[in-house]
Amino acid sequence: MELTAYDAYSRGKSTIMFGLCVLSTGAILAALGLVVGYLISIGYKSVDVAFFTQAPVPPGGVGYPGGMLNGIVGTAILIGLASAVGIPIGLLAGVYLAEYSSNSWMASPVRFIADVLTGVPSIVVGILGYELLVVPLSHHYNGWAGAVALAFIMIPLVARTTEEMLLLVPRSYREASVALGATKARTILKVVLPAATGSVITGVMLAIARVAGETAPLLFTALGSRFIETNPNHPFPSLTVQIYRKAMEPYKEENRQAWAGILVLLLLIFVLNLMVRLAASPLLRGRHPRR
Amino acid sequence: MSISSFDSRIPDPLTGLVGGIGGTPARQGGIFRATGNTLGGDFYLALLARGSAGIVLLMLATLVPVLAIAAVPSIRGFGAGFLRTTRWSPEHEAQKRDPRTGFLVHDEDGEVIKKTVPGVFGALPVIYGTVVSSALALLFAVPVSLGAALFLVRIGPWLTASISIISFLIEFLAAIPSIAYGIWGLFVVAPFLQNHLEPPLNNFFGHVPFLRFLHTDGQPIGRDMFNAGLILAIMILPIITAISRDVLRSVPRVQIEGTQALGATWWQSSWAMLRYGRSGLFGAVMLGLARAAGETMAVAMVIGNAIQIHSSIFRSAQTMSSLIANEFAEASTDMHRSALIEVALILLMMSLAFNVVARYLVVGRHSRAGGA
Repeated sequence: MELTAYDAYSRGKSTIMFGLCVLSTGAILAALGLVVGYLISIGYKSVDVAFFTQAPVPPGGVGYPGGMLNGIVGTAILIGLASAVGIPIGLLAGVYLAEYSSNSWMASPVRFIADVLTGVPSIVVGILGYELLVVPLSHHYNGWAGAVALAFIMIPLVARTTEEMLLLVPRSYREASVALGATKARTILKVVLPAATGSVITGVMLAIARVAGETAPLLFTALGSRFIETNPNHPFPSLTVQIYRKAMEPYKEENRQAWAGILVLLLLIFVLNLMVRLAASPLLRGRHPRR
Repeated sequence: MSISSFDSRIPDPLTGLVGGIGGTPARQGGIFRATGNTLGGDFYLALLARGSAGIVLLMLATLVPVLAIAAVPSIRGFGAGFLRTTRWSPEHEAQKRDPRTGFLVHDEDGEVIKKTVPGVFGALPVIYGTVVSSALALLFAVPVSLGAALFLVRIGPWLTASISIISFLIEFLAAIPSIAYGIWGLFVVAPFLQNHLEPPLNNFFGHVPFLRFLHTDGQPIGRDMFNAGLILAIMILPIITAISRDVLRSVPRVQIEGTQALGATWWQSSWAMLRYGRSGLFGAVMLGLARAAGETMAVAMVIGNAIQIHSSIFRSAQTMSSLIANEFAEASTDMHRSALIEVALILLMMSLAFNVVARYLVVGRHSRAGGA
């Protein structure tokens, strides 16, 4: 490349490319504005009290089309179950990667596989849930399978963010703790984890926000249900699957339910993300805090 | 007590470990006497942490075999032809026709005789759908992402106040669930394509040779490969932008200053930056590709769900993941389900390959942790 050609052509090209870069950023922000703006504009007209207080009513029933209370409750329970499995395992795996992994053959495979697992298409995870927890139960769709599929997505996310956040804690904290005679476990539980609590919670909340919006892994594990369901042994409703089904219906009333649902889901995810950003300055400051 | 065993009580400053994992057993009069009763806890935490890390390994070690075993009937039944066959038709009932005359065959009561047509499954149309829709997505997304990444790295710092807001917004774009994009594509992009873009394209390209792929070749419907590519592009913009930004940020300052000292224009030094980080940028694109290929819900909503290979990008199609989303719960025969799982297995292998290569390119060279 000729770097010395500081001529009109090069300067003109540079100006144009500069403009294109600005334009690209503008295009991304515009895409965000278009998508979110549209979803808000159709969503807020469709949200009503019934949306939060009723299960769906079939066409012809009193109060048609009803609401999505079943989906909201279902998603909350699914996330709760998935978190109960996924967060402890993810956290402990993160602790392993950050604190126990030096000189261990297992460390880099675990780190690498956790990274690769975050890239596995979620529909494939749904099939795994189906094979492990639906097929053995004589092809009976159930909430547990959905929760396990969501946990499968959570574990690698939580593990990697936890590792990142624990490594941000200065080594001197650990040295001080050990110098005072604390064991390794005590150092981790009483010094390292408390110092990183805020940012570890950040990672956990990002993982929750991620699985809250997942649809594909639930399609043939939890399947969905028209009723308010609290027993995970049965087919289990979720907000996302219900939004998908309603959006694909040919009737406007059903579509409006989907629009209201997507607005509620977006708000939930936006609030989770915003809380995370405001709470966790390390993430805000930069993505490579350890360099 | 020898010197070496005395040394083993001193915690390794790197790991904080005393005498290896789990700590040394409490010794009378040792420096750990006061905390000796917690050494058991040390053992259990190490065990739990290792166990959890083992679970992560186990997750991948479960995923692949479970899918592979469930796909065995299909692999046995169709062999390598699965990848070449263009027909995907599950077992169904058809009206029997006379092979010579083509008329329906009736029984004594005048009822049409039905026969069961066995399922034929070939993955080529959906592989084609995934490849083309992902390629379109990359075509739209890569230039925009690289431009935005350059903006964030080279122009952004001038606008210190807004840069973190822009970063947040781009990352929020990544957090929007895929059904939200699907709904937008279904209710906004599809009608727009159908009413405003495709009719003029039809008029214009209908008779131009070599450009028939820009022609709907029939009624415009809006739910097609182009729509899917567009939605996928928007969905992978954030990940490519975020990782490219990290890669560009890690280009040494000296490289940039060197080009500027030689009199390079803004673009020339930016170009040098892109060249310097090209392997990482390639990794970022690969991660975007993996994301696009595995994306399910948004595509299932906008691609039109037609299992066919058509030369026009304005015709309905189907991808591997959207096929599974559409048919798996309704699959009535074991062979149908097994064929879908084989598709999932191919998808999994593809995305694992993309991810492994991408992680190697991004993580291997720039930092141990990587971006996203």
